[in-house]
Amino acid sequence: MPCTLEERGSVRQEIRQIQEQLERQSYIADTAVATSVWLSTTLGKPLLVEGHAGVGKTEIAKVLARVHGADLIRLQCYEGLDVSTALYEWNYPRQMLRLKLEEDSPLSLDEKEASIFTEPFLLKRPLLQAITHTGRAPVLLIDEVDRADEEFEAFLLEVLSEFQVTIPEIGTIRATTRPDVILTSNRTRELSDALRRRCLFLWIDYPSFEKELLIVRRKVPGMDEHLAREVTAFMQSIRRMDLGKVPGVAETLDWAAALAALHASRLDPALVRETLGCVVKEERDTALVLRAMEERGLDALAQVTG
Amino acid sequence: MTTPGLVDATVRLCRMLRARGVPVTLHASIDAMRALRVVDITDRREVHHALRAVLATRIEDYHAFDAAFDATFRADAVPAPDIRPGRGPERRAPALRGSALERWVSRAAPAEDSMAMAAMSELESTRGTAPAGYSPEELSAMLRVARRMARRLALSPARRWQASPRGRALDARRTLLRALRTGGDPVLLLRRRRRIRKARLFVLCDVSGSMDLYARFLIQLLYALQDSFARVETFVFSTRLTRVTAQLRTLTFAEALARLREVRGFSSGTKIGESLAEFAREWERHIDTRSIVLILSDGWDTGEPARVAGVMQRLQRRARRVIWLNPLLGSPGYQPLAAGMQAALPYIDVFAPGHDFESLRAMIRYLNV
Repeated sequence: MPCTLEERGSVRQEIRQIQEQLERQSYIADTAVATSVWLSTTLGKPLLVEGHAGVGKTEIAKVLARVHGADLIRLQCYEGLDVSTALYEWNYPRQMLRLKLEEDSPLSLDEKEASIFTEPFLLKRPLLQAITHTGRAPVLLIDEVDRADEEFEAFLLEVLSEFQVTIPEIGTIRATTRPDVILTSNRTRELSDALRRRCLFLWIDYPSFEKELLIVRRKVPGMDEHLAREVTAFMQSIRRMDLGKVPGVAETLDWAAALAALHASRLDPALVRETLGCVVKEERDTALVLRAMEERGLDALAQVTG
Repeated sequence: MTTPGLVDATVRLCRMLRARGVPVTLHASIDAMRALRVVDITDRREVHHALRAVLATRIEDYHAFDAAFDATFRADAVPAPDIRPGRGPERRAPALRGSALERWVSRAAPAEDSMAMAAMSELESTRGTAPAGYSPEELSAMLRVARRMARRLALSPARRWQASPRGRALDARRTLLRALRTGGDPVLLLRRRRRIRKARLFVLCDVSGSMDLYARFLIQLLYALQDSFARVETFVFSTRLTRVTAQLRTLTFAEALARLREVRGFSSGTKIGESLAEFAREWERHIDTRSIVLILSDGWDTGEPARVAGVMQRLQRRARRVIWLNPLLGSPGYQPLAAGMQAALPYIDVFAPGHDFESLRAMIRYLNV
C-alpha cells in the first residue's frame, strides 16, 4: 500500500480539522465521530449513526452541512413512507389543468402527453432533490430510517448504491455530485444486514462528564460555571438510575437553559423539584429521582466526580 | 511506504471477526484497506476508529471488535504508543451491554464450536432422542401456528391508505392518474383501503437449565415467530439478557440451538427480574400500545420476586398485551407457586401453557386484541 509520510500527515490533520470545524459550529465531537465523518466523505459511503434518543445523531448532519456550506436535504422516515413521498410524484392537478386548457389546441395527442411529462410537472421529493442537486454536494439526512418499512429500506439501498433513479416517462437521472449521506436510527427495529454493509457505522453513547460539560458551556453561554458542573453531574447520576426514559443531552440543555433563565446560581432541592420536568418525563421516573434526592441528598447526586 | 504488516494484520482481524460471528464481507475488507489509506496509521486510536466504522456494523459487534483489534494490533504491529486509556468512559457502557452476547459469540472459536456440536449430537443419539433439527413437517406446522398468531395479533386499521382492488374507498389520486391515459375521463376506478397496523412482538425466552426440556420446541417457536411477524425482537435470558434477533436470522437452527445451550451452560440459576429489568431499561421506550410482550419461562427465579413484580407492572402498563407461556402449566396438577411466577401473575394478560403444538393452538384463541 503506497503511502507517503506527507500524505499521512495531511490526512490526520484533516480529521483534526473536521473536529475543529464541528466544534466551531458548537458540536462537540470526539475523534470517533470526526474519523467516521471524514471516512464517510472520503470513501463516499453513507454513515449510519445509531444511539439513544437525544445524543445528537441528527445534529451531525445539520452541522456537517453548515461546515461544508452545503444544503441539507432531509428525509424524515415513518411507517408507510413510500416512493411517492420519498422520491417523486407527478403533479396530477397541474397536468389535468394543462390538458383541459389545451383541449382545443391543434397539438397531437402525443405532443400533449410529452408536454405534461416534463420536469415542471414533477414534484421532487427529498431523494430526487438530492440526486438532481447542482453545485456543491448536498448533505442528505435520512432520519430515523428504522421507522420506515423493510420494503422501503430495500428501495433505499438501491438508490444509495447507484445514486440514480429511473422515471419511466423521462428516463434515468444520474447524480452529478454525490451527496454526503447520513442515516440515523433509534434501533426500534433491526436494520437489514444489506443496509448495514452499505454504510459506515457509528454508535454515539451518552457523553462523559467532561464532554457533556463542554456541550453545556458551549450551548448555554453565560451560565454560571458552578451551576453548569452541578447540572452535568446531576444528569450523569440520574442516567445511572433505573429510569424508564433516560434523558439525553437535549434534556440537559433544556434544563440548563431553564435554570439560566431563572438566574439560578446553585441547585437546591426546591429548584430541582420545580424544574425536573425539563429532564424527567415520566411520573415513575420523577418519583424515583425525587426519592433518591431525599435519601442520598442533592449533593451526592450533583457532586462533581471524575 | 508499503506496510505489508498492516495489511496482514487487517486480514487477520477480518478473519478473527468472522470467526466470532461478526459478518465481514469481502467488500468490507476492501473498504478497511481503503480506510487505512486515508487515516494516520501511526495513530492507534485513529486506526481503531476507522476500522471499527467499517467492520463493526452494529453496536453488538463493538465488543467483539475491540477484543479482536487488541489481539491483532499489538504494540509490534503498530509502532505507536498505546493511548487507549484516553478513549474515555463514553464507550464503556455499550461494551458492557453487549458483553453477554459477545461472550456467547466469541467464547467458541470455530474448532471448539464444531467439537461442542459434535459432542452434543453424540450425547443425544445415545439418549435416543430425535436427531438434530426438526423434520420439515414439524417446522411447517410450527410456521402455520406462528402465522395464525400473527394474524390474530394484527391490529386495527391505520390512518394510512394502501391501494387495493378489494378496497371500499375510491383512490382519487390513482384514478385521476389513470384517467390521463384516456384523455382525462376516468374510465377505470381504482380503489384503496386502510393499511392494517401490524403488531410488534417482543419475545423473551428463558433458556436456563430448568427449561432445557423445552428448549428445542421453544427455539423453533422463536424461529417461526421471527419469520411470521413483520417486526419482532427476540431475546434469551438466564442470568442475563441477550438479544438474538440478528443471530436467529443468520444462524441455522442447529447452530442456534447449540449456541443457546452454551448460554445456558454458563449460567447458574435464573434471574428473571434482573433480565426483565435489563430488557426494560433498553427497550421500554420502544414498547407502545401496538407492542406485544411474549415471555416464555417456567417462572423459576433465584432473584428477588419484588423485582419481577415491579418490572412486569411497568411492561404491562406500556404494552398492549403481556403473554406468558409456561411449559409447566401443561402438566396436570401444576400450580404456579414459584415465587417469581407468583409475583408476575397479576401483570399478565394471557397466561397459558406452551409446551407443544396443541397448547399453542389452544392459546391462540385467547389472543384477540
